[in-house]
Amino acid sequence: MKTFGGLRIAVAVLAIIYILIPLIVVIPASFTSANYPSFPADGFSLQWYGKILERPEFLEAFLNSAKFAALAALFSVIFGTLGALGIAKYDIPGKSYITALLTSPLSVPQLVLGIALLMYFTPMMLAGTSAGFLIAHIVICIPYVMRLVLTGLSGFDYNLERAAAILGANPLTVFMKVTLPLIGSAAISGGLFAFLTSFDNVTVSLFMVSPEMRTLPIEIFSQMQDAYNPIVASVSSVVIFISVLLIVILEKIQGVGKVFGGSHHTNG
Amino acid sequence: MEPIRSYASQEIEREKNPIEPQKEPKIKKRKVWVPGLLLLTPILLFIFGFFVIPMLYILYLSFISTDNLGGADAVYSLKNYTQLFSDSYYLSSLWLTVKISLYSVLVALFLGYPVALTMAKSSARIRGYITLLIVSPLLVSIVVRNFGWYLLLLPNGTINQTLMALGIIDAPLKLLFSEIGVVIGLSNAYLPFMILSIVASLYNIDPSLDKAGAILGASPFRRFFSITLPLSIPGIVSGCILVFSLSMSAYVTPALMGGANVPVMPVVIYDQINNLLHWTFGSALSYILLATTVISVAVFTRVFEKGKFKEVFR
Repeated sequence: MKTFGGLRIAVAVLAIIYILIPLIVVIPASFTSANYPSFPADGFSLQWYGKILERPEFLEAFLNSAKFAALAALFSVIFGTLGALGIAKYDIPGKSYITALLTSPLSVPQLVLGIALLMYFTPMMLAGTSAGFLIAHIVICIPYVMRLVLTGLSGFDYNLERAAAILGANPLTVFMKVTLPLIGSAAISGGLFAFLTSFDNVTVSLFMVSPEMRTLPIEIFSQMQDAYNPIVASVSSVVIFISVLLIVILEKIQGVGKVFGGSHHTNG
Repeated sequence: MEPIRSYASQEIEREKNPIEPQKEPKIKKRKVWVPGLLLLTPILLFIFGFFVIPMLYILYLSFISTDNLGGADAVYSLKNYTQLFSDSYYLSSLWLTVKISLYSVLVALFLGYPVALTMAKSSARIRGYITLLIVSPLLVSIVVRNFGWYLLLLPNGTINQTLMALGIIDAPLKLLFSEIGVVIGLSNAYLPFMILSIVASLYNIDPSLDKAGAILGASPFRRFFSITLPLSIPGIVSGCILVFSLSMSAYVTPALMGGANVPVMPVVIYDQINNLLHWTFGSALSYILLATTVISVAVFTRVFEKGKFKEVFR
């Protein structure tokens, strides 16, 4: 019955192509010399990459995305690492409930989360502000950081901390010289993952942006709804390039697959 | 033999909960959870202040039937909730959302199962590569992935041109801005979750069962349908639930791939909140969407638990 295994592999290959194909077609389409995006591209030129520089809204949106993603990553790593240490190291009553609570923003649809934060921020005058945007992104990133750092801590040998303390190191030295280097890789991958999550987010951001402050995915989203222009292909290719670069680093440090084990990642 | 056995069971206990630190002698515990709580304080305050309270706040808003958001003269009623059932527009939107989510689940299941099976049969190296290939696209913005589908599905896009060149169709098919487009976008986005769920349950199957089947003369086909498939049902169920819940609440993909032609609930809710500024009604619709998802999942789980696969769930 070789055909059975053959059929399985054929469908599996098709399915993997199906997952990858929307990303694969974007890059060649961005090199088109025509005035409309197409795959395969008509002719070859770099003109649509040059055009990005002529459109200040894209550059501005890119800088916004990068800035807020970096800040969201920083804050969620600080909160998440402290929290994960608290859960993993100490025998806190009800810790499984606390872990569930801290990862629960993942199981609420981003649309609903966006609406809730918009309604909540409006009377507080935080709607449409940088602070509101940042807070919303930290909420989305925290569950991922928690999960990655908790996984990183699962094999942690607390005897190392104890040994350092016995040898006379004060708690701060123990943390800086022993704990931090050992959980550092988990925290860094948590940070990279948070950066990507925030950088790429659309649904929650839609409720948090203002006309003055937009991010790159939001700019692409509205360009796709309004005009139909090859510049979207070149901007998208830049986004793909950045994501792939960070994914490669993430994979080298800890492995990308780890974050998604049974997770509720809502971004559609 | 007794001490060894209890040690072994402890080992197993520990492996089940990799997140929990090693069980240590009890003396150390009790006193030292205070610093743990201190470490948790910032994140707990943050999640309470900016997640739990906002979610409860829109639940409260959803019971206000005036435009006045919770002021002194606000009118509290169930009107926002009953409006859904009195207006066929919202009911048909809800049904459309369920229907499209079910189609996405089916596509993801039929494409995903063979990938999961291939992963389970591969070496750790190949499995790692496949995981990287299927998970990485999740880290690229959904708008970019949808743009890729634009290129493929437009009336003069790759798929229509190929089909026409091959003489299979005469006129371009309406793939984009239709239900087909939304199902393609959603199943594409959530297929990796289906694969990972099924793979997790395939790993748990004892490989000697398959060997026993082979020794007893069962064909690979027979072994798959009598051994592997029934034993992987928990993974299938959790994958289906995951893809269904994600599809029910997806906004960006239906907005881009379906637009006004496919008014699923998230698109309708977004419209109520951002364009019509019906904030309390939008809040109620959000909770109705959440409730529909939770109830569908509960019914689905119950059907499977009651059905002939009961033994699988134990």
